[in-house]
Amino acid sequence: MTVDDGAKMAGMSATASLRRDPARGVLAGVAAGLARRVGIDPLIVRVGFIAASFAGGFGLALYLLAWALMPGDDASRAPIERIAGKRETWLVVLGMMLLALAALLLLREWGLWFSDAIVWPVILTAAGGALIWRQSTATEEPPANRPAAAARGESRLPSVSLPRDAVGRAFVGAALVVGGGLVFLWLNGALGAARDVLLAVVVVVVALTLILAPWWLRLVRGLSAERTERIRSQERAEVAAHLHDSVLQTLALMQKRVDDPREVAALARRQERELRAWLNGRRLSGDATVALALEAAAAEVEEAHGVPVEVVAVGDAPLDERAQALVAAAREALVNAVKFAGPVALYAEVDDDHIEVFVRDRGPGFDPAAVPDDRRGVRESIVGRMERHGGRAILHTAPGAGTEIELVMKR
Amino acid sequence: MRPLDRTSLVAGLVITLAGAILLLDRLDVIDVRFGYGLPLLIATVGAILLAAGLEGPRDRG
Repeated sequence: MTVDDGAKMAGMSATASLRRDPARGVLAGVAAGLARRVGIDPLIVRVGFIAASFAGGFGLALYLLAWALMPGDDASRAPIERIAGKRETWLVVLGMMLLALAALLLLREWGLWFSDAIVWPVILTAAGGALIWRQSTATEEPPANRPAAAARGESRLPSVSLPRDAVGRAFVGAALVVGGGLVFLWLNGALGAARDVLLAVVVVVVALTLILAPWWLRLVRGLSAERTERIRSQERAEVAAHLHDSVLQTLALMQKRVDDPREVAALARRQERELRAWLNGRRLSGDATVALALEAAAAEVEEAHGVPVEVVAVGDAPLDERAQALVAAAREALVNAVKFAGPVALYAEVDDDHIEVFVRDRGPGFDPAAVPDDRRGVRESIVGRMERHGGRAILHTAPGAGTEIELVMKR
Repeated sequence: MRPLDRTSLVAGLVITLAGAILLLDRLDVIDVRFGYGLPLLIATVGAILLAAGLEGPRDRG
């Protein structure tokens, strides 16, 4: 693309969208931007704004509104977007507010009205209250790279704090509620009396704050420390389970195949790739759904251990975080089975409510109570992992009776 | 073919409607007082803003 082409495209983009044009503008470039958008002389728009300003200041209000909503020509965001977040949301909110205001004015004109002293404060307070309640349901964006975040020790529990945008909107809501109350008092002639009461309340609140602040701070710090410790503990368990499933298992395989340097090098390369992918928060290809991920895990185990693994999957589901934990637990169950029991079968059933996976072998079986404490395979990588993600793992085994591990995860 | 610009369409329609109502008022077919004219003006601006907001971002690429 040549420089001229770029300039043409930039020009086309500028004319296609409604943007302020400060370079050709007198004040903020609103009239120039509007004129460019509709293809007329900016002077006509300016005359229109000035004429409308003499009609009760409507033109001035319209100019300010347009300035707040129109982004700049240099790809800068609109002022209201810089202050309050997504521009389209505010356009919809403003549009609906204006339509509601028009409807209210019509009702007032028709006499279907209580009183100005009641309706306007109630509307302001209700709008502010709705805004505050809406923000109270907003949650912090979860870390995009869950495994990488886990590796860095970041939280995967929902945060109790609000996003910055939500805090700003909650303040606007609080201001509307307080404003509604003040307007109500003013319109009902009770602002003077309310001032005395308010002063007394402020004094009491300040005194209580000074008295209770140390205890409150200690409580908040204690809760925060407890939460941090809980998160760290969970992350440690998750990292330990992953290292056991991947690195330790590969090292064990490499010891078994020490006579074959090429095989050992291949195992090391594959483990390195898998570990790097996990640290970078990427999944290996071919595992976008539960069934595909189970088949990939089975193929990987079959290839690494040279023992056949039969997979039957009924139904399928997207591979979300909990499903990933289930697949990891199933993979560990497969590894245990091929190591100790020979050929193994995996049966998966996915319905609207649950994902169930059964890993069966006809090996010698074992006594779970006799497993030493330092063996983490079943206890941490299967049972612990499933429980940490809200699922359960049930072990059906006995010496001489084969083994079946049942994994159940809610969707 | 140029894609449909919903904001311009809605703006054109509501401004035409508002203009028609004001014209009928001038022709003494209907009587538009300030109590009706102000809501009409506010609803016109509101409808345009709503259409622009619902259309979503454009030319941000």
